[in-house]
This record gives sequence, structure tokens and C-alpha cells, in this order.
Amino acid sequence: MPKHDVIIIGGGHNGLVCAAYLGRAGRKVLVLERRERVGGAAMTEEVFPGFRFSVFSYVVSLLRPEIIRDLELPRHGLHILPLESTLTPLENNDYLAQWNDHDQNRRELARHSLRDAEAYDEFGLMLHQMARAVKPLLAMAPPDPTSLSLGELFGMKRLAEHFQGLGAKRFNTLTKLLTMSSADFLDEWFETEALKATKSASGIIGTMLGPRSPGTAYVLLHHYMGELDGVFRAWGFAKGGNGAVSAAIAAAAQAAGTEIRCNATVESVLISHGQAKGVVLEGGEEIKAKTVVSGADPRRTFLQLVGEKHLPEAFVESIRRFRFRGASAKVNLALGELPDFTCLPADGINGRRALRGAISISPSVAYLERAYDEAKYGEVSRRPYMDIVIPSMLDPSMAPPGQHVMSIFVQYAPYHVNGGWTDERREALGNSVVETLAQYAPNLKSAILHRQVITPADIERIVGLAEGNIFQGELSLQQMFFLRPVPAWAKYRTPLAGLYQCGAGTHPGGGVMGASGRNAALQILGAA
Amino acid sequence: MSSVIVIGGGADALVAAQILARAGREVITIEGAAAPPDDGWVPKKVLRELRLEGLELEWPDPWLTVPLPGGGRLELWRDLARTVEAIRRFSPRDAESWPEFCDRMARLARFLEAVYSAPPPDPLSAGFALRARRLGRRGLADLLRILPMPVAELLDDWFESDALKGALGAAGILHLLQGPRSGGTAFRLLHHHLGCPLGVFRPPRSNVMDLLHKLPRVELQPAEVLRITVRAGAVAGVVLKDGRELAASTVVSSADPRRTLLELVEPGWLDPELVRTLRHTRRRGVAARLRLQLDRSPGFATLALAPSLDYLERAYDDAKFGRVSQRPYVEARCDEQQRMEVLVQYVPYGVDCSNLKDAVLALLSEHWGDAQPQHAELLAPRELEEFEGWPEGQPHHAELSLDQALWMRPVPELAHYRTPIQGLWLCGPAMHPGAGIAGAAGLHCAHAILGG
Repeated sequence: MPKHDVIIIGGGHNGLVCAAYLGRAGRKVLVLERRERVGGAAMTEEVFPGFRFSVFSYVVSLLRPEIIRDLELPRHGLHILPLESTLTPLENNDYLAQWNDHDQNRRELARHSLRDAEAYDEFGLMLHQMARAVKPLLAMAPPDPTSLSLGELFGMKRLAEHFQGLGAKRFNTLTKLLTMSSADFLDEWFETEALKATKSASGIIGTMLGPRSPGTAYVLLHHYMGELDGVFRAWGFAKGGNGAVSAAIAAAAQAAGTEIRCNATVESVLISHGQAKGVVLEGGEEIKAKTVVSGADPRRTFLQLVGEKHLPEAFVESIRRFRFRGASAKVNLALGELPDFTCLPADGINGRRALRGAISISPSVAYLERAYDEAKYGEVSRRPYMDIVIPSMLDPSMAPPGQHVMSIFVQYAPYHVNGGWTDERREALGNSVVETLAQYAPNLKSAILHRQVITPADIERIVGLAEGNIFQGELSLQQMFFLRPVPAWAKYRTPLAGLYQCGAGTHPGGGVMGASGRNAALQILGAA
Repeated sequence: MSSVIVIGGGADALVAAQILARAGREVITIEGAAAPPDDGWVPKKVLRELRLEGLELEWPDPWLTVPLPGGGRLELWRDLARTVEAIRRFSPRDAESWPEFCDRMARLARFLEAVYSAPPPDPLSAGFALRARRLGRRGLADLLRILPMPVAELLDDWFESDALKGALGAAGILHLLQGPRSGGTAFRLLHHHLGCPLGVFRPPRSNVMDLLHKLPRVELQPAEVLRITVRAGAVAGVVLKDGRELAASTVVSSADPRRTLLELVEPGWLDPELVRTLRHTRRRGVAARLRLQLDRSPGFATLALAPSLDYLERAYDDAKFGRVSQRPYVEARCDEQQRMEVLVQYVPYGVDCSNLKDAVLALLSEHWGDAQPQHAELLAPRELEEFEGWPEGQPHHAELSLDQALWMRPVPELAHYRTPIQGLWLCGPAMHPGAGIAGAAGLHCAHAILGG
């Protein structure tokens, strides 16, 4: 008699969410984590003495509110500090700021375009409606339109009814979001270049597409689906870094009886007669359980842990065609002083406030396209798009007094870089990030005490995400919903009985949502 | 009996006029200077309904000739086995994949043909779902996956040879301001496969315009429409450029919807929100057309200069920033009289292209041996707008991208051929299915008029 009902491979946030839900339903769960601590890409580390970083993923918004509620994450230590502005420094030493304060935001936008200031609220309302329209889909195991089983037909019918219920106008807007490019979509709303660029940048995050490519408008929506404390589209930091998110979920899972074992690398899934029976660890230890859930990405799960020979040929072919193509890098800086953006000096009230929010290096759509153009032929963008936050502004515990940590999300840094990733290339990437940023904040160079550069290859090596894709597979339309990761296998199940998937490579995808983990748990519970 | 005015002389306008006339309406067709291109698939339903006989569809054979970088040519034939052998010479793997690729694409094309043979589907209806299911499990999964895909990814899934991928990938970007790595371009490859034999991915030429012009019964007026008159929210007739006024209770326009509703109709009749949506339809011309006469055969029927997907993508990179492609995609088609028509992409609307003609002739001259060109004339999108009446030089009137296709063509509010102005209807390339599908939009529009 196995000691555990369920083994979960990988202690990333989805694996932990899945464990917590299963544990609360009375299952005896064992989480196996390869590294010395849980969290996967959502983790905090003191990289340099006194400086703590959310090394990989760095903000919270998309974590499903039902998970926060169900697992009582605040009780387990989750505390989210809202980000209240986005600053876009411009090449002409002006800036565009978006503030949470409605009146201030309107005044600022009107400074650039009265028309955009007028359209802004309506745009927000529209995205709000779209987020509501897709919200029920996030918590759903996608029905399979290719199946003729009654259950699936019923699922499709319900889905059609949901869309019909939106009314023609909203349904059309949603279809546009699914099929358009974020730049074209925003062109219909705004005229200020920096505003369009900063908003369309949400549509390229983690994706090897430029803002003018169709499909990016959906990624934009994906980043607007977040809710914090009942407010749509809000972004924030977890106090203590994104590791605190994982820690809170892990605590909830442990409180529900889950056992977590770190430094336990799963080498393969134990299979007999087409059924998963447990796992084999590095070193040969076998652990048995009736159910095995993989939080690893689809490529690792099926081609490495399971092995082709146990899977149907067409399925393997589809997994091979599932695209990862990591496009983003991360630069973490330890700073002796705050960066001073010349367009909005830090000694003014607004300058100081802006440093508490996000800073986006996205002066124009053409700038983003140029960055993409270099990457699609295998080069790192010399002038990359960057999304920057300074967590120590909101959570002083992240850095020594008076000093700061800066987290820079960088795109595009293609995984498939010409000649492969080397130490020189990594340093060159760090240099172009600092050079680019220093154009807007000249004191940055002298303020840097330490620098950590993480390439897509590093993400793959350290966290295990294939090709360093932050979503466990590109969030493109052809890899979404019932196509994620493979048609007919989008319901967290696999061709092997007893084996499930719960990572972001399944619907609805990445961004520290936790929805994949929750949906998978509910499927497993429903199946038993 | 109510009278109908049909604006335009393209296949859609002629088909709509015929069907309305046969239903007993009194129809006048007002044909401007603009003539639409004469290639494209003609749906069977159009032929049946008009009892058109003698339609000839032509594809050259080989339907595509692709120069290989190391010298030599890849020739794609109408005969599948012959194509396989041609591909095998430089890529056995691709030769293996070719028949299955063609078969899977053909299945999807048959489905789209059925969809195009009817008015825009309601995506949420049970009928549409049932029809899609007939594709079978794999077919449906293919369809859902391929429609939003970049054509580059689709081809990377199947093939390794750059020459083959370049030649096929070009079908995904024709007349579209997107590169092969942009989402939605795989759909365009399928679109150009409609009505084609297995393994042919370029639209045919046909004599459909001749056949339509030979049909009796519809009065043709060579004139240009200045205005569509509207009274009390209903159409009253048209005013011609020569000052004549014609009364009609129904006006069917095959001009592009933006021109029809925002220029021909006086402002004020439309809801501002619809006006805004219409203004945002994308109809950017991206290709120049070069016509020339050769003194002898160039040694190919259709030549495509697209050595790789990256070549196409780089051509697009220039256009994205408003420049003519330094190395454009060039597709030349030559008939038996050695008349050649060349498509040159990307050439953005309104940019200077004074050197382009010579550059394209130089590119082509490497491939046509000793032939000498005469009377070469290049029309950039701006000239195509002027002479052909294509808005911004875009022959499809509204770019055929996924968000401007099917029930969203050209905008959802107008997709069913009806406008908010009573008696004013739209047909033409900007309407479903449009974009090179001859006559189908005219057919669906006429049915909508007669049905309502």
C-alpha cells in the first residue's frame, strides 16, 4: 500500500496549488522538488548580501482570487503591495505617466492628447468587460470541440451559451482581441505613441512576436485579467518578493497535510501497462502512488519523464510542435542609490512616486518592433523593451537601509541566439540593458553595486522551463484553451491513466495564475 | 417593381445584378473605370445559380517555378507525383512530407470552400459547429490550430527546405502588410488554396469576367457615381459625376465599404460608432504591379523569387517602417503571348518608388535568359488606387486578416451585406468571402436583398 495517494512533480506555484487543493480534499500528497527550495520561478533569493530579489517572476496580479480565498493565503503570509503607476520615459526627455489616481492620470494624458484622455476610461471599461467575459473560462477545463462524447458536447454548448450571453458587441470585441495585433487594436483607441507602446508591450511579454503581429492582443488581455482585492487590472508586489507567494501556498499545502520533499529530482515516471504507478528519483529510489501529477512543462513531462515509447505517435508529434522559444531575460541590480530619471527627477513628489510603480522602456511601437526584428534573426535586442520595478521602494526589507533592488524584465533575448548563449553574450546583454537605461537615468551606472543577468538559457538550466519560456510554452492562439498543450489533451489528463499535468503549459497558461494547478486538482478529484 | 442600381463592374457586382434581374428587378449597373483582377476561384454555387457554362480555370504547369540558390530550379507541378520527385532532388524529407501536407491542407480548404459558399457563418450556431465537426477530429484540430498560426510556423512544422518554404510562405502574405512570422498568415495560405487542385497553392485565372459580360439582361452604364442620395434614412438613388440623377429604391455597392458609406453617402446618416469602426478597417496596399511585354518566352510560366521565409520577413521589415523592401518578394506570371504581370511586394502606399521598376527588371532578367522587355510599366499602390480604384492600392478593399474575415468582414456590423441605410447594400471584395473569390459576395448579397 503506497504511503501517498498523489505525487506531484515540481514544487512550482502550480504544483503547490494543486497539492493544497488535493490535500484539503483529504488526499495524501507528496511534492517532489528538484531544487533546494520550492517556488520554481516564483522565488526570492538573497543574491547579494543584504539584497533580496524576486529572481525570476517579480510581480503579482493574475493569481486567481478564488485560490487566495480558498487557500486562505493571507493567513499563510501573503501580503500584496499595490503598484500604483507606470512611467514611460521618452527619448526627448519628456515622459508619459499612468497613475492610479484618476484625476491625475487624466491630466497627464491630456498633456499628450485630449482625445486619449477621453478614450482612456472607455478603454479601461472595455478591457474590464473583456476580463469578465473570459474569467469563467479561466477556471474551466476546456471542453474538447473535436470530441463527440456527450459531456464534451455539453461543455461546448455551455461555452457557446456563455459567448452568446455576452451579446454581439462584446463577443465581437473579444474575437478582435483574439485575432488582432496589440498595436492595431490600440490604434483604434489611442494616438499617443508612448501610450500605445506601453500598453501593447503587455501583448509581447514572454512571446516571440512583435506588437504588430496578430495574436498579441490576446496576450495583452491575458495581462489584464488580474484582480487584486476585487479590483481588475491591478498589479502588485508580494511583500518579501514572489518567493512569498510560493511560501504562502506551500504553507497552505502543508497545513492540509502535504509532504514536501526538496532536493528530490524525478528522473522518470514509473509506468506499467499504460498506467502511471509512481516515480523514480535520481539515485534509483522508487516512490509509488496511484496518481502522478507533473508540474513540469509538457516537453520535459512527456519527452523526458515519461518517454516517447509510452505515448501515441501523434501525441509525441504534437508535443514536439508545441512551441517554447523563450524571448525574455531578467537583470537584477543592487543599487547604492535610487536611479534618477531626468524626465521626472526623484526629488519631486511625482518623481518619487513614480519610482514606487513600474517603469516601462517602451517609447514607441516602432521601438518595440525594432527590438523584435533583431531577435527574430537570432540577436539580442540592442535597445530592448524593459519593464522595471524597484521592490525595495514598497518593501524596505528587500535591501539594506538607503539602498535598493531593481528588477528589470528584458525583451527580446531569444533562447535560440546565434551561436548560443555564452558568458560574453550574457555580459553584453547586461551592458546593453544598463546602457539603454542610463540614457534615461544617467546616475544608474555609478549606483550599481551588483548585477545579476539571467538569460533564457539560465532560466531553463536553473528553473527547468524549456527554452526559458516563462509561460511553459508560448501563449499564442494556436497553443491556447483546448489546444494547450495538445488538442484533445487539454483537460490536464494525459494518454497515460493516472498521469496528470498541472503546469502553466496547460490552460489557461502562465503568469503566476495558479489556475492550472487548481483546475488540475479539481479534475483529479472529479475523476476519482 | 422596384428598381435597383448596382455600382461597380467587378464579378461581385455583375453576379448581384444578374441574380436581381432574374428575380424580376429592374437593374442598372453603373460601371466606373475600375476593373478588378481576373484571377481567383469561382465557387460552384455561383456557376450553378447563373447557369454559367464554359468556365475555364487555368493554372500554368508547373504552377510555380522557384530558382534555387545554388542554381537550378524547383518546379511545382499540378501532378503531385512529379512535384514529389522535383522536391526529392534537394530534400528527400520534404518530398516525403509533401503528399500528406497537401492532403491535410486540401481537407481544410474544402471546409473553407463550403463556408465561403454561404453568407458569413454565426460562429456560435449549432449548424456551424456541426459543419466544422465533419472535418473529423484531426481536421478540426488542424483547423483551429492553423487558422491563427504564422505561416512560417506551419511550414517549419512540415518542411526543411528554405526554397520550398519561401515559395509556399509567399502565399500567406500576398497583399497583406504582415510577414510570414505574423499570426494569421497560415490562414492566407489556405485562402489561396481554395478551388485549387491538390498541391496547388496559387489562385487560378479564369474567363469568368468574359462569361459574365456575355450574359444578357442587365443595363450597363459607363459612368462614375458621385453620391448616393439618402432620404429619411432610406436610399433614394444616385447622382452621377456627369450630373445625371438616377432614382432607385435599392442601391448595391461593390465599392469599398469605407468609400461607400463615408464618401458616397453624405455624412450624418450613420451612427458615429460605426463611422469610427469603419475608419479603422485596414486596407493598406502593399504590392506594386509591373506589366511588360517580352519578345520571347522567359522559360517559365510563374516565377516566385522568395529564397526563404527570412527573405520574406526581411522584405516585410522594411515595409513595417514605411519603406519599399530593399529585396522585395517578386512573383511573375507570363502568358502565351509573352505578356508578363509581376507582383512586387512590399511597396507601401504613397512612398517614392522611382527606382523600383529598374530594380525589379534587373532581378527578373537573371531568370529569363535572353528575353528583352518592352513597354514595362510599374504601378505603385497609389497609381493602382487612381487607375484601378483600389483604395490605398489594396485590391481586396479590406485586408484579409483574421479579424477582417468571415463574420467580421469588413466589420461585424456590416458583415451581412446590409447597411444601416435602408435599401443600401454592400457587395465586393471587402465583403465575405471577397478577396479574390469571384462573385460569391455578390451572390450572397443578392440573396440577402431578395430574402429581405
